[in-house]
Amino acid sequence: MSTYVYGITRNSPDLERAARPDGVGDPPRPVRVLSQGRLAALVSDAPEDLRPKRRDLLAHQHVLTEAAGRTGTVLPLRFGGVSFDDEAVAAVLAEREEHYLERLDAVDGKAEYNVKAEHDEEAVLHRVLADDPDLRAMGAAQQAAGGGSQEEKLRLGELIVAAVRRREELDRDQVHRALADAATASAPGPESSGWVANLSYLVDRERAEEFLSAAAEFQRVNPQLRLQVNGPLPPYSFVE
Amino acid sequence: MTVVPAQQSAGSRGSTGLYDVLELVLDRGLVIDAFVRVSLVGIEILKIDVRVVVASVDTYLRFAEACNRLDLEAGNRKDPGLPDLVGEITESGARGKSKGALAGAAQTISDAFGGGHDDEEKESRPRARRSSTGSRRKEEQE
Repeated sequence: MSTYVYGITRNSPDLERAARPDGVGDPPRPVRVLSQGRLAALVSDAPEDLRPKRRDLLAHQHVLTEAAGRTGTVLPLRFGGVSFDDEAVAAVLAEREEHYLERLDAVDGKAEYNVKAEHDEEAVLHRVLADDPDLRAMGAAQQAAGGGSQEEKLRLGELIVAAVRRREELDRDQVHRALADAATASAPGPESSGWVANLSYLVDRERAEEFLSAAAEFQRVNPQLRLQVNGPLPPYSFVE
Repeated sequence: MTVVPAQQSAGSRGSTGLYDVLELVLDRGLVIDAFVRVSLVGIEILKIDVRVVVASVDTYLRFAEACNRLDLEAGNRKDPGLPDLVGEITESGARGKSKGALAGAAQTISDAFGGGHDDEEKESRPRARRSSTGSRRKEEQE
């Protein structure tokens, strides 16, 4: 029976005692603790036909967040890591013990916050026109002329798009500047573009309030952006 | 600003933050060489390259027309932090959600995961891509 691995944490008697949420699979496989020296892996049997289904992805995530809530620190595995059997997992833990302990220390007491920003289209239009009197005059002239010719529209549109792009870059930098101080580390999020910014921050639990306040304050003074903050999450982006 | 606590997104009913959890669960986290990885065929992380979408004649026209509809007087107020402007923009933000290239990503995501209850059993298909982007990427399969 191959073994599905959720995450790696420090070995502790608390792990065995604690209730564990359902694992991946249908029916959900029970989550077990696999201890090896100073480390433990959260594992379950791997379903034969495991696929990245919505429920399985959420189960993976849930096992990690529950464990993090109890023991404080877990190194999350990427979804879908399957080992030949329990012994093979134990062998990896034994072989890389020092490395994983070092990583656990690095993320100890911290969580990941993923921050995404997108432009509010109308608000960013206001913003770029407010910042550029020439562009605004051009827009006003077209409005006065009842919309302008096709060529005029294209010219105006091209200029606006260029200004919006510049604004994207500016805003990306500003999001980072506003948030980096309250975080221990940062990492770019997966490159799912469509976002002005997609950044992950490693934030000390003690400073979570500070981080969220910084985000809220940034949102308040930057209405052209819609900020979405996800967290606290297992430190997916800070385990390597 | 939306803050989505992890517990909420991990719960069976909280689909709000699912997409964000998804991309991190699939794209980040520890990979152990000695393990095999479940095949991720069929999973595509959202790849909308706004730059590609934006730099087209259609988009130029759309922005020009959006500008034509804009109340330019409001744009004259230099400070975007003014409370009245914030109020106005928040209001328009809700309307803007369903239109435009810039709001497209969020829209696509909510299309894919919108129900939150009816696709528990289905394969996760993160989202339909926009045909114009050509920035398709498949997750590695191993």
